[in-house]
Amino acid sequence: MATTAEYLEREQKLEGIGCARKRKEDPRFIQGKGHYVDDVHLPGMLFGAVVRSPHAHARIKSINKEKALALPGVRAVLTAEDLKPLKLHWMPTLAGDVQAVLADEKVCFQYQEVAMVIADDRYLAADGVDLVEVEYEPLPALVDPHHAMDADAPVIREDLVGKDEAGQGKRVHDNHIFRWEVGDKAATDRIFATADVTVKQAVLNPRVHPCPLETCGCVASFDKVRGELTVYITSQAPHVVRTVVSLLSGLPESKIRIISPDIGGGFGNKVGIYPGYVGAIVASIVFGRPVKWIESRIENLSTTAFARDYHMVGELAADKNGRIKALRVNVLADHGAFNAHAQPTKWPAGFFSICTGSYDIPVAYARVDGVYTNKAPGGVAYRCSFRVTEAVHLIERMIDILAQKLGIDKAEIRFRNFIKPEQFPYHSALGWDYDSGDYPTALKKVLEAVNYPALREEQAEKRTRGELMGIGICTFTEIVGAGPSKNCDILGVGMFDSCEIRVHPTGSAIARIGTITQGQGHQTTYAQIIATELGLPSEVIQVEEGDTNTAPYGLGTYGSRSTPVGGAATANAARKLRDKARKIAAHLLEVSADDLDWEIDRFKVKGVPGQEKTMKEIAWAAYNNVPPGMEMGLEAVEYYDPPNFTYPFGAYLCVLDIDRYTGETKVRRFYALDDCGTRINPMIIEGQIHGGLTEAYAVAMGQLIAFDAGGNLLSNSLMDYFLPTAVETPKWETDFTVTPSPHHPLGAKGVAESPHVGGIPCFTNAVNDAFAHLGVTQIDMPHTAFNVWKTIHELGLDNRA
Amino acid sequence: MQVKLEKTFPIAAPADAGWRVLQDIKGVAECMPGAQITQQIDATHYKGQVKMRLGPATASFNGELKIKSIDEGERKIELFGKGSDTSGASAATMNLTAQVRDGGDGRCEVIGVSDITVSGKLASFGGRMLTQVSEQILKQFGDNFTARVLASARGADTPQTMAASVPPPKELNGVALAWNVVLGFFKSLFGDTKSKSG
Repeated sequence: MATTAEYLEREQKLEGIGCARKRKEDPRFIQGKGHYVDDVHLPGMLFGAVVRSPHAHARIKSINKEKALALPGVRAVLTAEDLKPLKLHWMPTLAGDVQAVLADEKVCFQYQEVAMVIADDRYLAADGVDLVEVEYEPLPALVDPHHAMDADAPVIREDLVGKDEAGQGKRVHDNHIFRWEVGDKAATDRIFATADVTVKQAVLNPRVHPCPLETCGCVASFDKVRGELTVYITSQAPHVVRTVVSLLSGLPESKIRIISPDIGGGFGNKVGIYPGYVGAIVASIVFGRPVKWIESRIENLSTTAFARDYHMVGELAADKNGRIKALRVNVLADHGAFNAHAQPTKWPAGFFSICTGSYDIPVAYARVDGVYTNKAPGGVAYRCSFRVTEAVHLIERMIDILAQKLGIDKAEIRFRNFIKPEQFPYHSALGWDYDSGDYPTALKKVLEAVNYPALREEQAEKRTRGELMGIGICTFTEIVGAGPSKNCDILGVGMFDSCEIRVHPTGSAIARIGTITQGQGHQTTYAQIIATELGLPSEVIQVEEGDTNTAPYGLGTYGSRSTPVGGAATANAARKLRDKARKIAAHLLEVSADDLDWEIDRFKVKGVPGQEKTMKEIAWAAYNNVPPGMEMGLEAVEYYDPPNFTYPFGAYLCVLDIDRYTGETKVRRFYALDDCGTRINPMIIEGQIHGGLTEAYAVAMGQLIAFDAGGNLLSNSLMDYFLPTAVETPKWETDFTVTPSPHHPLGAKGVAESPHVGGIPCFTNAVNDAFAHLGVTQIDMPHTAFNVWKTIHELGLDNRA
Repeated sequence: MQVKLEKTFPIAAPADAGWRVLQDIKGVAECMPGAQITQQIDATHYKGQVKMRLGPATASFNGELKIKSIDEGERKIELFGKGSDTSGASAATMNLTAQVRDGGDGRCEVIGVSDITVSGKLASFGGRMLTQVSEQILKQFGDNFTARVLASARGADTPQTMAASVPPPKELNGVALAWNVVLGFFKSLFGDTKSKSG
């Protein structure tokens, strides 16, 4: 019999699920050996650069290419007129709308793509951009979404005039995109009419941008002889890109190869199809030469997928004990000039209806109206699963506001309203089926860790001296792992994911998954899943993603879907292999398959010590000695359609101090407890949480895509757009509980977005809490020193006398 | 990005002299750095160009200037200018009302009210400095304009002597005002202190 020490040694050798294994990706990244799109250099490659609109709203009177074309090295200047014969001057968006590839007679946002210059190198292309002369006739710009549906509002989308539909149901104004309603309005209104107490608050999630380190770009290479198109692209969903490119170009999908190489951060910014990609592809097909297009930082911040811009009004009805009876939400969603919101097709407001949060709210109603404005299109991006950030922000602000009104402690009111552990699986008022959770345990653990009562005492004492100290709590529930094909698809393709594993004769393996890592460490963690499921060391398991010629069709990585969907596919594919391995082992050991027990890395005959076959031995046999009638080889494919979403959760607490003369905020402590179910690699989870919290800090404390009244963008360089470095970033303390998902093969839920979704309201709750005793209910983000100082100054707290 | 400015320049010269100089659009242009009127289209329409050297780069802007009204009695002129850089990456418009008021004792003052909108890259990167920089540019303009009026009052109003009276040859058109406002900011940003001190 094997001893415990032997078990342990064998298990450790696998470095499977639960092991804090070092990331396989890092050696190449930290040595500068990563291979990004801009590292792709192909012979004869041309470069594209985009001419962009200086106006937020203007008619194009003329475009003069002459001077640009006269510059030696400039090959072409593409405009909408050139794309028209190909029917490529407009393209479909993921949200059922269309978007101008190159502006067609009119520009609808500042920095909109007007023309694309193709030249021999990127400097010539940039020079060419300066030589393209565009004459504009400026039109009044619509910047404030609250005025989008005014009777006299400028009409942004002339192509849609007279149409009562823009791909997402009925619309009521030329600048209206859709109205989405969920819940029981009549029942909700009835409860509000008779409730003991109600609160109502406008809460803004301002427009921000994920600003990944690497901007978007591609290299399109069309081989005229073979009729094949290869595109190296910064995409979080390469297979979806292949399908879209096939639909747009008419090339069969089999002749299109999309490769996402190393990606320097995505955060949702790299989900959409952008005009620059289309321009490069068209140019490559026309010239039969590779064409590279890489965004500058300014272009990235100005044009490719922003996030949020949700103008929300939340209302809670409760009894006098703070027990919530109903939630009512009205949202005005600013989608910019084209509805290019990345989302599953049937969800115009994403999963915003998760806005009942971690609380047992019997009745709710939510309504979202999407409108056009003269701003860049996109939306939904930024480390969150389809509008969950906005939903969590709303409910976490509202519950604090309710607590303030009733004089109930902000932790206590959460305990009174939590969905209880015994209520799972829990069906929410707005239609979701929460898989598992234990919210009170998580919050209790956090409160004990930080000695919450002592913090409140300290705060009370400081308030007597006029000092500003804030304690923010956020007990969030995420919804990730999109998603079951019965309710989630992208352009008609169900949101499953896939894995293909081949075990080689000598016991090493390659796995290909339909997702694509952008920093999440898939090459490390998927190998760990296979190691545990198959009993082969993760060190010898290669994980490959991002090449549509080799990986099975998958929907990509965003919305924390890799572990819930791709991870499940990986586990199931490995299990298929293990089943086959069991039969081979039975054949080799001359016993029935039922007589075998699986033990870490081998099958053992029950009750017969020493009668065993390791996975390595079985792999060898798979290629020379399989049972009669069995197919040779050891290979499996799994397409996993999740039965439900997963619902990770967490309890966060932030303590901060505010300088009442300068408005500067110092985060003293941030304690983050996450429950993502089964933990595959604790070190990677911690890294993801650090990253997500840092981006949450960025959003809460400084990031804003700002416009002036004329629609000019005021924050599209890193001079103005806040990107926290190690200098600004607070210290993070992390903790966890484990409540596995009952429907996921491994019990895992996904984690990367939780810290962002939960972190933002935690910071903003802390800032608001610092002023709560003065009657303040809502200070919108970003909480820059200047903005905080304005609140201080209005309240007269900076008076030194 | 929009900014409204009002500025008064007291000049130790009679109002008639001030008014005479103010009506000479080309002459007024010469009071602003970096600009020139390239073409007079008709009595009230001009084309102009602003060239600016920003370190190694040269920026060039084209624009149109229109005299909206001239009121002899009030000694008031209304100008509208608009322009964009050659690639169309930035654009600006300006409404300018300038009036010469008699201050008595052979003195006058010029009151300028301008309303400038800037869009595109200039608005994104220079917008927040627009007010401060506009003030500085206007100050330079005021100094040069004053020198011109004083010269005119001395009777030295042949083009040659006029030019000589204005230290280094500088130009202005309506559009240049708007351009220089923001370009001045860029120059100061890149360490060219001359644009600040004039």
